[in-house]
Amino acid sequence: MNEDLMPYDPTVDYTGEPAIKEITPDGSKHIPPWKPLNLTRRRFLQGVVCSGIAVSSTAILFTSGTRPARADARAVERLITLNVNGRKRNVDVAPNETLAHTLRYGLNLIGTKVGCNRAECGACAVMADGVSIYSCSTLTHRIKNKSITTIEGIADSDGTLHPVQQAFIDELGPQCGFCTPGQVVTAVSFLKENPNPTVDEARMAMSGNLCRCGAYDHYLKGVMKASEKV
Amino acid sequence: MAYKLIGKDFTPPDLVAKVTGSAKYAGDFRADGMASIKVLGSPMPHAKVKSIDLSKAEAMPGVLATLVPEDVKQPGPAGMAILSSEPAYVGQPIVAIAAENEQLAADALAAIEVELEPLPFCIDPLESLKPDGPNALTGGNVVGRDVEFQEVKWSGKDFALAGEDGLPQGKVPVEWAFGDVDAAFDAAAVVVEETFVHSSNAHHAMEPRSAAAYWENGKCHVWGSTQSTAFAQPGLAKMIGISPAELVFVAEYCGGGFGGKASAYPLMVLPALMSKKMGGRPAMLRVSRAEEYYNGYARAGFQGWGKLGFNKEGRLTAADVFVVQDLGTTTGFWDFNNVGAAISIVFQPESMRFRAIPVLTNTVPKGAQRGPGENQAANMLEPLFDKAARELGIDRVAIRSINAPGEGGKDAKYGAKQGPVTSAYLKEALANGAEQFNWSERSKASGQRNGSKVRGYGVASAYHSAGAAGFDGLVRLSPDGKLHIHTGVGNLGTFSYASTSRVAAEVLGMAWENCIIERGGTTKNLPWNFGQFGSNTSFTMSRTNFAAATDAKNKLLEIAAMELGGAADDYKLENEMVVATADAGKSMSFADCAKKAIDLGGKFSGMEAPEDINPMTAASVAGLAGSGLIGVSKDNMPKTATVPALAAGFIEIDLDLETGKYEILDYLGVADCGVVMHPQGLAAQIRSGAIMGFGLATTERHIYDPEYGRPNAIGLYQAKPKTYLDVPAALQWAAVDLPDEQSPLGSKGIGEPVEGCASAALLCAISDALGGHMFNRTPVVTDMIINAAAGLPQSHKPLQTNCQ
Amino acid sequence: MTDMMHNFELFQPGSLADAQALVKKHGDNAWLLAGGKDSLDWFKDRVKQPAAVIDISGLAELNGGIRDDDGGVYISAMTTLTEITKSELIKERFPMLADAAERVASPQIRNVGTIGGNLCQDTRCHYYRDGFPCYRAGGDTCFANTPTAMNREHALFEAKRCVAVTPSDTAPACVALDAEMLVQRGENQIVVPAEEFFIGPEIDIERMTVLEPGDILLGIRIPATWAESHQYFEKVADRNTWDFALVSVAMAAIKEGDSVSDIRMVCGAVQCTPRRMSNVEDLLKGEVPNEEMETLASRVASSGAKALNYNHFKQPLMANLAKRAVRSLSA
Repeated sequence: MNEDLMPYDPTVDYTGEPAIKEITPDGSKHIPPWKPLNLTRRRFLQGVVCSGIAVSSTAILFTSGTRPARADARAVERLITLNVNGRKRNVDVAPNETLAHTLRYGLNLIGTKVGCNRAECGACAVMADGVSIYSCSTLTHRIKNKSITTIEGIADSDGTLHPVQQAFIDELGPQCGFCTPGQVVTAVSFLKENPNPTVDEARMAMSGNLCRCGAYDHYLKGVMKASEKV
Repeated sequence: MAYKLIGKDFTPPDLVAKVTGSAKYAGDFRADGMASIKVLGSPMPHAKVKSIDLSKAEAMPGVLATLVPEDVKQPGPAGMAILSSEPAYVGQPIVAIAAENEQLAADALAAIEVELEPLPFCIDPLESLKPDGPNALTGGNVVGRDVEFQEVKWSGKDFALAGEDGLPQGKVPVEWAFGDVDAAFDAAAVVVEETFVHSSNAHHAMEPRSAAAYWENGKCHVWGSTQSTAFAQPGLAKMIGISPAELVFVAEYCGGGFGGKASAYPLMVLPALMSKKMGGRPAMLRVSRAEEYYNGYARAGFQGWGKLGFNKEGRLTAADVFVVQDLGTTTGFWDFNNVGAAISIVFQPESMRFRAIPVLTNTVPKGAQRGPGENQAANMLEPLFDKAARELGIDRVAIRSINAPGEGGKDAKYGAKQGPVTSAYLKEALANGAEQFNWSERSKASGQRNGSKVRGYGVASAYHSAGAAGFDGLVRLSPDGKLHIHTGVGNLGTFSYASTSRVAAEVLGMAWENCIIERGGTTKNLPWNFGQFGSNTSFTMSRTNFAAATDAKNKLLEIAAMELGGAADDYKLENEMVVATADAGKSMSFADCAKKAIDLGGKFSGMEAPEDINPMTAASVAGLAGSGLIGVSKDNMPKTATVPALAAGFIEIDLDLETGKYEILDYLGVADCGVVMHPQGLAAQIRSGAIMGFGLATTERHIYDPEYGRPNAIGLYQAKPKTYLDVPAALQWAAVDLPDEQSPLGSKGIGEPVEGCASAALLCAISDALGGHMFNRTPVVTDMIINAAAGLPQSHKPLQTNCQ
Repeated sequence: MTDMMHNFELFQPGSLADAQALVKKHGDNAWLLAGGKDSLDWFKDRVKQPAAVIDISGLAELNGGIRDDDGGVYISAMTTLTEITKSELIKERFPMLADAAERVASPQIRNVGTIGGNLCQDTRCHYYRDGFPCYRAGGDTCFANTPTAMNREHALFEAKRCVAVTPSDTAPACVALDAEMLVQRGENQIVVPAEEFFIGPEIDIERMTVLEPGDILLGIRIPATWAESHQYFEKVADRNTWDFALVSVAMAAIKEGDSVSDIRMVCGAVQCTPRRMSNVEDLLKGEVPNEEMETLASRVASSGAKALNYNHFKQPLMANLAKRAVRSLSA
């Protein structure tokens, strides 16, 4: 093996022995083993301590996703109904919560990625009423009246891939794949608006989706190929 | 040689998950009751933790547990701490806190009070080397791979001799030479000499290195983001403080690594430790973009000096290079060694002297980034070749070709010891590329003006070693006739985990649709494999899979002979059957052989395993024993030389002298990667590596304020990786496609040099457009081009670092 | 460091009056949220932690879109940058504004980011954003103007203690087009010329615009004066997406015959406010744009500049962009 092939491996600076320090809180107290994996979802939800502004018991109302914004000076309610991928989903949303957080933790839609949390990369792109937006930098309460489509809502319900997804496979668009959900969502949104784009138009439309692997060439070929099929 | 699978495109099996969002990265792990971890990073570049007051934080609702430096194992000198009581850079983790959810953890984090006593700090290696310069760590300023932690100060005379803008050349821990350098310089027709700076560079993988863990039934389960699965596991266990057998490690997907997630790393350990403190409760550390910057092991920067001597034909007769590596705060990677090694092979100098010193600074820790050292070498040295070519009146492709290793590398020499290489076709890559690019005709337009724009051309080469030996291969034929190829290499996104698995299928003549790749975690019975880094996979994993499949093949033949009579030699494999060579009627399906293997037991079904395999592989074989025909073998094939990955890049740009902006009109990358295994995958690597290289060469910034020791380019909008609109819509690629004789199917790696040849080519093209202007700095940022075009001095001093 | 926003109450008032009442009630703790692109980063870094966030995106008064205004246009504050880039009316009359809007950040940011937010956004000085207690943050130091500070992006002009620059791409265009800002202040609507809307540190070091707490930008009126004039916008940034200008230039000019009868030229990212390039304007008025004028324009464009450690490149860049703008007049 060549030495210069070895990775930067910070673990080499650690000794194998002794084992880590005993990390019980006071060294003597026995911590009962956590039994996590047989808890029901429901019990888990009850167990969560609400953050942010406390929810009073009377505030547990589900607002309709289509109701107009409130006209009075009360703060927003936490329990809302979101229209995601064609389904109405009831979810507890803190006032300061981003859509990406709601999707990933509230609704377990983990296909939406958070690459930067600062509107700088596009891994979190979802469609709001068909328009590509950064879910990491959108308060969920801001878009509760819109119809949200995430990467999980792109393929047909029978699993048939969207032409963009198929074209990304055919053109080997993804590399590490972390930016791919955002690339797919943005491409789908774009081709709905412009089904016959030029390469330059596609490039411009996709430009808010960073790919650190640098697979732009392959993604663009995918978008152009998909445009022949949508 | 024509293969059924090798050299053909295919659809890697993880692509559907990637385009549908079902691919699960470490941060996508979910478990009921999962706690959230937050880490408090140092606000100071170097300080001693005097006290940590957790009382307010611990009293907050939902807070579950905390970890302070005293709770966790500490590394040796200049190691990367899990949590540190002497944070040595802004952002270094000091305290971790877990709470019911991320919001509560964040709120509690804000309530932690840490008292810090500031210590001297330094962000410029040369400052630290001054007689009274500050040390980045208490007790020393120099360390490195094979370099002991020590204090090195150069003399006032060293600095005075160099002058303000020269590189002082004091004592160094690394020095080697071959040939008579001084005599060669004396005899040289042209000597070029420059100082240069290469910035550090943050990897900024799209996926921040989130990690999750829980403990169950005495085992620790970790979900981590790493380029390597099997290779990362023992080191991770060591840091957690358990035996490898006690660690279940899952790493199905890695959202970008580029060397920054080569193996395991301290941040990945935190959830396991925190979970243990909570009685095994699942815990997730979601790493933010800023934390990814702080803990991402950036590419090391350099300050350096190079002197090259050429004879009148353009042959490099002498090279003298001196580099100072910016380590950040840890032992870092041997970029310094790799600079020298890369120069030695790419340019084949007849004589050479190399000196290097790795120096600690209070900047983010440096690790390996794609072509660590080799690509900086290309960026630092290639423009000097252009300068020499101009002085000699030699074409810029020609001067590289004269010096490049070629013809299989029969006369090529590598490194300080001038050792042999397994294969080298850089000369051929340059020739093929020049022809396809039409270099000789096109480059005549160099300097041509069109309004405010001027045309520039660049060519450059790069190297990385590309293969290792000695790891294990493991395949299993199940009774349903499917071939399970177990691979522990990792899934970086190059798809080489899949293309090298196809070697096993090729050996056995399997239809690809009857093959299943088993990967992604230690639950998958992985063999001991090298990691997915260092451009090695296409070589190393081809060998292990070849070895395992060959073992399976021999067992198939043996079983057929036992069942159908005759000797193993009388049989061959054909269409997933073992068939008698002389009598096609005598045959046995692979499925039946697998069933028979189970009946036979012993070595056939994995009840016995070879003695020379790694314990990890042995455990995996034991896990699979009795479930089919097991092919398992250590790669004992000879590897007698360095395996070089080589690449050449050709570029055409228009540079706008008024705006400092350039447009890439055309780019061609040519790879010497042995036999092409997966053309589409290779194309993707050549193109995307080039794009990363363009960023490294021009826009990606790494900035520290020298007075406050704080980084000023943390986020993506400040660090500036390339976007769709900064690169051409299409890039060209080609490959020499000649076999490496020490790789069973002729393949070797390529991932790293395809970046370096592109970045250096772009730097050369910018210089070319400006009439040969020497920036001697990477990156060349917009403002530098504007200043150069306007005839103004640059804002930075020649050897100033962390400022562009 | 936390990357999670502080806890706040979120209000979504249905009327301007409600919004104003909320601002009044919460005083210094109130924060108006438009597109949210700038605000959320401040919150995630916890550098700014207002207790009451008032989402004004739903207010009808801010959502009137783009309409004809006596030969000019009126643009409601919540109009997205994407709407501006696609508006036929704007592309026909004020193409420079469409160009400027299209150079902002990225498509997704333009899909949500508003013209109001783009004009009112805070400076990008990384020391200030990083939470340094600088003048602009109420402290007593400028960390970007020390002898060794990293200040490549900072000001060439009008630096009074603070050396931050305007980051907006649309602001220079609005100033060049002599736009007016319609602002709700208390019960009154006031009209502020764009050139006065943006303020430098000599007026108030903690603000970028005349907007006082509780003021709400309703919209932007661009008069017919410069409709379909010769217009030019160019922004130079390191990257072509997600980047703030190193320098930008916006020009509107009217020609009579071959000569320039009137001209406004504005430079972005060289001082705290969009900078009128009066030297160039004075030079060009009544003249026929030609190579000599280009040269003279570049000669005077950055006069009076005081470079910091790392930003003297902005002087030739200003000169070159002025030259290119003038060149566009003879094209």
